[in-house]
Amino acid sequence: MSRQRIWDLPTRLFHWSLVGAIVFAVVSGKIGGNWIEWHGRSGLFILGLIIFRVIWGFVGSPTARFANFIRGPRAIKAYLKGEWHGVGHNPLGALAVIGLLTLTAIQVFSGLFANDDIAFAGPLATLVSTELSGQITGAHVWLFNGLLAVVGLHVAAIVFYARVKKTNLVLPMITGYQALNEGTPVVPHHKHSFVLRLAAFVAASAIASAGVYAAAGGFIGQPAPPPADHQAAPAW
Amino acid sequence: MKQVKPFLIAVALSVTASAFAQQAAPKPETVIKWRQSVYQVLAWNSSRIKANVDGQFNREEVVRAANSTAAIANSGLGALYAPGTEQGKGWHDTSAKPEIFKDGKKVGDLAGNFVREANELAKIAVNGDQAAVKAQFGKLGQTCKACHDDYKVKD
Repeated sequence: MSRQRIWDLPTRLFHWSLVGAIVFAVVSGKIGGNWIEWHGRSGLFILGLIIFRVIWGFVGSPTARFANFIRGPRAIKAYLKGEWHGVGHNPLGALAVIGLLTLTAIQVFSGLFANDDIAFAGPLATLVSTELSGQITGAHVWLFNGLLAVVGLHVAAIVFYARVKKTNLVLPMITGYQALNEGTPVVPHHKHSFVLRLAAFVAASAIASAGVYAAAGGFIGQPAPPPADHQAAPAW
Repeated sequence: MKQVKPFLIAVALSVTASAFAQQAAPKPETVIKWRQSVYQVLAWNSSRIKANVDGQFNREEVVRAANSTAAIANSGLGALYAPGTEQGKGWHDTSAKPEIFKDGKKVGDLAGNFVREANELAKIAVNGDQAAVKAQFGKLGQTCKACHDDYKVKD
């Protein structure tokens, strides 16, 4: 059986890091207490992953590029009729990719301005009024259900492929290779040199890191001083 | 005439007394203001403790904030969720969900957890090191969250 390279290493690293980080963010957010700080850190990490993936959607290998897998309704219809024979994300699955990326982005972006009404606030919460921060927190909590729904759909589709269509979608996301039926031609995956691909990876990572630094409040200076600074407060 | 006068005085007194009695029960708006204010004071205290466990540790400041928190926790906060205050405006519209007025037993348990952890924090603040205070402060925050999750309206 021949095999076809479909997912490059950065795309796979992105995918499983995102899975781990989202699980961690959900659990730490539910526990609360001092874990809320880790909830915030995992959100920043996820933001970096999302920025990276968006850039990788332009400079990554062919199957990672948006232009190659985001298709119109006609292609989706053709796919549903079984007339799609491409490699990588199918036209319907592309919608899930976009949905997951968008909802995750909204989730982490809103988290930057949110607060937990106890002792934690997102790194950019000082940029908005307390009232607005509260409203954004409400949205952050509420929109999570939407993200959960799309993740559920994504997993359900994978189960459907495994059970009904007898296609394992999980293994290729680990190994990078998809098994091909005998006689199916192998499509060349890359046309760029390793050095160029590495450079693209480094550049995308650097931009993502800069984005995380900005989101962590790196450019807005120190957070507001705590009230009743004990150095300056009167003795009473 | 002689019997009428004391009677009139008695009537006048009882009318006045009942008017006072009605005034003695605070208006719902007042109660809602009190309860909203209590949480603002708790927020002040918790922000002081947080500043001290994340930055430079000033025990005196932590003890003051922890004692203030424990005092509020032990002050009988349940009275601020009196019947008639389910809806309405204090400083702003109430953030309490209707369920907090119905789930008596569960709310009591959650409130009991809050009181217990607040007392523990006040105890640890006296001798504990920064890490111990931080750990207990986290536990206290979890009891805040437990109630917020179920009974506080998200905007």
